[in-house]
Order: sequence, then structure tokens, then C-alpha cells
Amino acid sequence: MSLISPANLRRLFWIWVILAIVAVMTGTSGNNSTPPTTGVHGSFMERVSFFGLFATWRWLLFVALGVIIWLISSAYRPRARQIHHGVDAFMALPRRLTAKRSTRLILMALALILALVVPKFIHESFWMYLIVEQIGVWVLLALGLNVVVGFAGLLDLGFAAFYAIGAYVTAWFTGALPMPALFHHPIPTLWVIPLGIVAAMIFGVVLGTPTLRLRGDYLAIVTLGFALIIDDFVETQSGVTGGGLGTSPVPHPVLNLGFFHFRWGLSPTPYYYLCLVFIIIFLAIFTSLEHSHVGRAWVAIREDEVAAESVGINPLKYKVMAFAVGAASGGFGGVLTGGLVGIINPGLFTYQVSVNVLVLVIFGGMGSIWGVALGTIVIQTVTSYLDNYQPWGYQINDLYMYIGALLIVMMIFRPAGLLPSRRRAREFAAAEGGEEIHTDEVLTGEQP
Amino acid sequence: MSEVATRSLSFEVKDITLRFGGVVSLRDVSLEMRRGEILAVIGPNGAGKTSLFNSLTGVYQPQEGTITFWPSEGASISVIGKKAHRIARAGVSRTFQASRLFSALTVFENVKIGAEDHNGLGLVGSLVKGPRTRHAEKVSDEVVVDLLEFVGLSNEANLVASQLSYGGRRRLEIARALATKPEVILLDEPAAGTNPSEKLELTSLIRRVRDERHVGVLLIEHDMKLVMSLAERLYVLNFGSVIAEGSPEEIRANQSVIDAYLGSSHEDASN
Amino acid sequence: MGFEHFWLSGFDQVHAAFWRYLEVGLQNGAVYAMIAVGYTLVYGVLGLINFAHGEVFMCGGFAGVFLTRGILGDRVATGWGSVGLVIAGMIIGGLVSAAVAIGVERVAYKPLRQRNAPKLAFLISAIGASYFLQTLAGKEFGYGVNIFPGAVFEPGKVMFTMFGTQIDTIAVVCVIAAVVMLVAADRIVRATKLGRGIRAVSQDAETASLMGVNIESTIMITFILGGALAGAAGFLYSLNSGIVQNAGTEIGIYAFTAAVLGGIGNLRGAALGGLFIGLFQSFSVPFSFEGNVQWTEIYTFLILVLVLIIRPTGILGEKSGRTA
Repeated sequence: MSLISPANLRRLFWIWVILAIVAVMTGTSGNNSTPPTTGVHGSFMERVSFFGLFATWRWLLFVALGVIIWLISSAYRPRARQIHHGVDAFMALPRRLTAKRSTRLILMALALILALVVPKFIHESFWMYLIVEQIGVWVLLALGLNVVVGFAGLLDLGFAAFYAIGAYVTAWFTGALPMPALFHHPIPTLWVIPLGIVAAMIFGVVLGTPTLRLRGDYLAIVTLGFALIIDDFVETQSGVTGGGLGTSPVPHPVLNLGFFHFRWGLSPTPYYYLCLVFIIIFLAIFTSLEHSHVGRAWVAIREDEVAAESVGINPLKYKVMAFAVGAASGGFGGVLTGGLVGIINPGLFTYQVSVNVLVLVIFGGMGSIWGVALGTIVIQTVTSYLDNYQPWGYQINDLYMYIGALLIVMMIFRPAGLLPSRRRAREFAAAEGGEEIHTDEVLTGEQP
Repeated sequence: MSEVATRSLSFEVKDITLRFGGVVSLRDVSLEMRRGEILAVIGPNGAGKTSLFNSLTGVYQPQEGTITFWPSEGASISVIGKKAHRIARAGVSRTFQASRLFSALTVFENVKIGAEDHNGLGLVGSLVKGPRTRHAEKVSDEVVVDLLEFVGLSNEANLVASQLSYGGRRRLEIARALATKPEVILLDEPAAGTNPSEKLELTSLIRRVRDERHVGVLLIEHDMKLVMSLAERLYVLNFGSVIAEGSPEEIRANQSVIDAYLGSSHEDASN
Repeated sequence: MGFEHFWLSGFDQVHAAFWRYLEVGLQNGAVYAMIAVGYTLVYGVLGLINFAHGEVFMCGGFAGVFLTRGILGDRVATGWGSVGLVIAGMIIGGLVSAAVAIGVERVAYKPLRQRNAPKLAFLISAIGASYFLQTLAGKEFGYGVNIFPGAVFEPGKVMFTMFGTQIDTIAVVCVIAAVVMLVAADRIVRATKLGRGIRAVSQDAETASLMGVNIESTIMITFILGGALAGAAGFLYSLNSGIVQNAGTEIGIYAFTAAVLGGIGNLRGAALGGLFIGLFQSFSVPFSFEGNVQWTEIYTFLILVLVLIIRPTGILGEKSGRTA
């Protein structure tokens, strides 16, 4: 087949289009004061050096790159099917390797050992701190949201609210809010953990009972609406919450068992272990729930609510349960952040935080507990690295551009995530195989 | 109506009218279903058969009329205004026109969802697998094994539901519906899309549901041969109204039914 | 004192400046209405909330702003020149936004639709598109700070005085332009062949395709129509407030609230809803505790949440095409 066939040339064109977008994404930034084309212009005209080999314009580089990709892809076109199979097999590898229970146990043990020894290898307290704040807490949040989105199939765009509840309850009980602590008697931070979790769960029930009757996309909007209300409300109530400036410092946790006394201070390592213990607890709880009748009921509801009702499942009850269970780990994340960061301000719980957590869940694999944990570690490590080193002209603000692109690409090519949950992968496959999905036919909005 | 008389009925539908906006889907429909009978509802497409099913199972709420379900024991239940899952637990189970299985779960799990008790909260029990939870699991597992054997899917128990053949899915749906221990099962076109041999199997399965499981069957079906061989009584719906009721022989001879099926004009059929 | 005083002082302010609040409300409401129509149209055809629609609006704003900047430089337009610029700005804004809307459709929705993906996938992909566009705009044109167009009208120019209130030219232009565009959109949907296609697909896509309506091109037209309206709205909005990279989020949610209020899927409802939200916000300003403007946001979001919970079909009712 000729290289210069119309179909082939069209492909070259699209490769160039994609590369042009990549060039703009990775190129120079514009700003308000310069003409609007500065960023775009700079993205193509900037001089690149490549060890002095290419003292030329950037656009030439991308044009050349496009041709190279085009040539390679043209050469492999006859074998496209094989390559597809290869890619599929590679993608399915994690699942195949972990098919056996014994392998899974060994991997879990290895992960645990690795997690235990991590502090031995990280000597700078800055990085250790990042690991707890950027990875540990976010694993908790992602695991919690995974229950809501992954297990029960409810798109919650306001998950940060539960995180906020945990944190502000901590501040309240430890006396860090402008308003006095409950019963005017601050209690130690460590004892707030159960209170924070319970408060978040109660809030989940309170928020969920009216909203979870709504169908999918309305639920997303209503949770977003609540999140924004809470955001604004916290900021306006400076007399209660400290407003935009934040609370006074939450005291560091102290464990006092009489014979054993331990104080979580400025060093992040003890927090790391505290966080790890709770991650393991939540991992165990969520795994066992997934395989219980509650977990099965969640699958039934997310796949087909009408059918689930026809076998006697009360969808609202199980949805509220998912909200409450998911809120638990979010709430604990808040308590931990309170103890670790000290000063709590609304900026920690914005709408963007909610979406970020959602990204972690989707990237790791909705409904896949281990996928979500792994995905969180990967994404949070990469973003922490990018933020702190800013390589290749990367700027902190660019992050959401990449996240947005990642979400779209994932939904097109790998909707079930990095380590897909078995059930979820089947659902996506069934949908694509032309199986009818009935979830949206639920006539809730049109009840006469 | 006296208690004795009513106990011989499972369902009593009185003058229900169901509207969506301006569209009348069911108009003054009345229907009685006797305990343990195989009753069929037939009618042309769009006659309101599925709307009737949805009203009987609490998915739709008719604006007028009453629907009463009489369990073999205990007080009667007024269906309108109750949630679908409440009706299901009260003993009315159903299948769907296009089978609506949980395609990501295995055949076994599909039935198990139906067999499980969804009354309590069950959160703690799921976390701490105490003796009570384990006993409940064992009981529901036994129910599943028994039902899969009943519908002939024992060998497919570990397949994913979406891997089943069309007839297999139909049977699985019946098993799932039976798992809730219903007194009445509503089958919405159970034979749609199946081949002739599967159709035969389904016919005998439906009869066994009634004879061996003592569950009353209410059936919507297009396949006249299947309906006439199965049903003991039929109701005919056209344009949302009941136009005839009777035994298969009576229905076959009924002129308005013949008119409706031959596709006479709207005016003729609804008058 | 306290609460009672708060209410009384709020009503006093409304009383003192009723026409000013009305003007601002109508001006914003016009913009919300135009965006809301896009949400409603896409929802009708795809049964999907286009989360990226706010960003489509934002792109139109940038396009219009850059156009007027390029043409005017430091000059100030007067007379017919202003009118021409407004029309040109709306056209360019509309064209760019329509192009962006098509881009979103092709990249974020179409591949999923062809694969018959679950609805969750669409929502997530839409959030992705929204993030991408928002941040890309920020990267190229700067974050945070508004970009003001060269003066299309002399700043704060007063057109006429009514009931003792000076009415800004921009407000008048906004309202007139919005009314024209909305009436045109309504005519297109109700009275043309294109509109028949849109309505047919909204009612029942399967039947529509059996009857020879080309679903894909109908979807495309819907996105173009919604995008063009949003782009024109973007330009009108930026005339007054300039445009920010993240304007789409907030304004988008207000407009979405309007669409829900009017019964999503219902074009006229969306337009009325937009007007209502604009007026509601404007008149809620005097009722902000401690003068904190965040309260108007809280009130608006409360409307959104309450309407969704109590009456998800909206005040004017959802189009009942999907029922049976």
C-alpha cells in the first residue's frame, strides 16, 4: 500500500493536530499584559537546543516528530491487530498475575513491608511530610470516594465536604475554633478520631437522605451545589470557623496510656505510621464490605436500580449507607490533616479537592480498592514531583490541564482504570458489547 | 367483600387510571388474579401491558383506582403509593421485557442478591462475620443452589451473567425473581427473543413455577401459541383499557379481540 | 435589632435603588438565559449535562475581547462603530464557542457514545474537558486577572435616565441582544427543519433515526446552536466584567441552575429561568449578612439544591417526551 494514500495522509494530519495541542500544552505561557497569541507563538517559535543539535524553532521539532510517528505507525499498520492484542494482553497483565489468592497475599505482604520501611529511606522531613500530607491523606480520601463512586456508582462532586467535617470537628473539639469547644473543655486530638469519623458519617446520612433520590447527573450537581454552599458558608462565618484565615493551630496528638507516653510533634514520621494503621483498617473494612451482601446490593443498584428494587433492595438505604461509609475515611482524613497541618482553612476543602479525589479514583480504577490505592500513590507522587521541581518549564497551574486531558483519554481508552475491578471491567465490556444499560431509564423524574 | 372470598384472590385491581402528562396509559383498568393461577395479559404493542406491570409492582403510581395485594397470610397491602422494593418484599416478584440482569455479577451472585435478606442494616454483620451472618450466608447459598437447579443453570453458576444465552438469561431472571420467595411472579414477555426449543423449555418452566413452587403467574406475552397453551385465563388490553376477559377459548372467539389484533382503527377498538 | 433590622435594611436598600437592581438583574439574567439554553438543548438531545458548557461560554468571551482589543487598540468606539463592534464581537464569540463546542463533542463525547459507554463516563469526560479548557485558557491568556476589552463604549456610559436611575448602555445592549438571539433560537428549534430534527431526537432518538433524522448531524447542530449562544453571551458578559479563565465554572453553574429551574430540556423555561436567576441574585445582594457578597452565591446554590430536591422537573416542567 502506498504511503501517500489519502487515508495515510489524513492520519498524518491528525498526528500533527494532536502534536500541535501537545506543543501548546507544554509550551510557554502567556499572560494578561501581552498580546493573546504570545503563549501560542512562544510554544512554536521558542528556541530548543537538544544538546546543541537543534538550534531551531520548536515547531520544526514537532513537525519532525509527527513525521516520525507517522512513519512508524504506517510501518506497523499491517500488524495493527497483533499490536492491539499485545497491548490488551499487557493491560490485562496485573489482573492475570494476581488471579491467584496466594500471589495476592504475597504482594500484600510485600506492600506492607515496603510501607513500613519507607521512612527509613526518606531522610528529609520535607519529603516525609509530603508523603503523609499528599499521599497518605489522599489515599484515605480516594478509598472513601471509591465506596461512593466505585461501589455504589454515585457521582459525588462534593466529597471534600466530609474531609472538611472531619477537620473542623477536630478543630472544634480541641478548642482551635474561635467559638468555644463543646462543653468548654478541649479534648486531646487523638480522642477526636472516632468523633470526627462519626460526625462525617452522620453528615453523610443527613446530606444523602434528601439528595440520593436523584438520578446520576442531578446527584452530581446537587452534591456540587452543597459543596459550594459549605465552602462559602465556612468563609462567611469567621466568628465560628475562623473564616478564610483559618483556625488557630490544632494541638498535636498525644497518646497517654500511663505507662506509655507518646507525642506526635513536628516530625512527620509518627503521623505516617498513624495514617498507615488507619489506611490498613479502612482497606480491610472496605474489602470485606465489597464481598458482603452490602457490596452485592451496591453493584445491583449501580447496574440497574429498577431491577434491584424488584428483588427487594431499597436503593435509598444502600446509597445512604455508601455515603456514610465513604464519609468515614474522608472524616478521618480530616482529623489527620487537622493534627498534621494544625491551621485549618477553607482552601483545603475546595471543589477542586473534590474533583482531584475523583480523578484519583478514576485513574486507579473505580471500584478497585487496590487500584485506587496504587493510582493515588502514582498520581500524587508525580504531581508532588512536578510541583516541587517544575521540570521542562512545567508550571504549577498547568496541572489541571494535564488532569483534564488524562480524564478524557482514560474515559476513551481505559474507562475501568489502571487496575480495573473485575466487576467494573465486566460492566464496561458488557455496555460496549451492545448490552443495554438501563440505569438511565429509571423514570424517577417523570413519576406522575 | 368477605375475607374468605378475598383470600382466593392474589391481586385485585380496581379502576386504575395512569397518565403521563397528557397521555393516558391505562384507563379504568380492573383485573382480578386468583390465588395460584396462571393469568395472561395480552394486547397489541402500546396497549399498556408493561404500564400495568409497572403499576402492580410499584414502579408507576396510577392517579386513580386501587390495587390490593392479598398475601396468603397477614393483612392486605395497598400497592399504590408503596415503593417497588416494599412490594417486592411483600411477595410480588417480576422479570423485565428486555432482561435486566446484573451483568457484572456471576449467575450465582445474581440469584443470591434476590435470596438475601435486605431488611436490616447489615453493616456490622458484613464486617464482623459472626455466626449469624455465616448462617444467613449458608441459608441463602442453599436457596441459590436449589433455584439454579430448578431452572437448569447449575452448570453455569460461575459464569458472568452476560455470557449466558438469551434463553439462559430468561431462566436466570426467573430464578432471581423466585429467590425473593414470592407468592406471585409477573413475567414480562419471558419468551421474547428466544428460539423455538428455548420457548418450549420456558413454557414448561413457567408451568413448573406454579405447580412445584406454588407461585401464581401473571404473564405478558406476544407469542399466542405460548399464551394459549399456558394461561388459564386472559385479559386483553387495547389502548389502555380492558376489552375482554375469559378463558383462552372465549378469547379466541371474541370479536373485539379479533378486531384489535387485526389492527382496526382507534375509534372502533376503544369503543 | 439583629435579624429584623437586617431584613428592614435590606428592603430599604431595595426600595432606594430598585431600578438599579432591576437593571443589573436583567443584564446578568440575559447572559444566564443564553447559556442556559445550551445546557437545555444538549440535555434534550443527549440526555447529558454538558459540564464543559461553562468553558464554551468562557472561550467566546476571550474571542470577543481579543477581537475588540485588536480592532480598537487604545481608541474608544462611538455611535455606529460601537454597534458594529458589538455585532462583530458576538459573531466572533459565537463562532469560536461553536467551534469549541464541536471540539468538546467530537473529542470528549462522541467516542464514548459510539462505544455505548455508561453515563458516568460521559460526566467524567465532560469534567475533564472543562478542566482542560479552563486551564489552557489560563496558561495562554493568564490566570486570575480580568482582561478588559478596549472600550467598546465609553466606560459607564449612560444611555438614558429612567425613574431617576441612569441606565448603562451596556445593560440595554445586553438585554436587546439576548432577546434577539433567544427569539431566533426559539424560532429555529420550533419552526425550522433543523429544529424539528432536534425536537424529534429529544423525544425519542430511536424513532427519530428510523424516520430518517440523522442523529449525528442533529447532535452537531445542537452543539453549534448552544455553543453560538454561549459564545455571544460570553462576549456580552465580558463587555461589562471582562473575562477570567475560570469564569465558566461559576457562571456555568448559575446558568445550569436556570436551566434546571425552567425544567431542563425546555428551551423557553431555560430562558425564563436565566432571567429569574439574574434578578434573584441582583435583589439578594442587599440581603447579604455583613455585606458579604458570598451570600448571593449561597442563595443561588440553595435554589439549585432545593429545586433539584423538591421538584427536579423544574418549575415549568420537564418535556415529557421520554415518558412512555
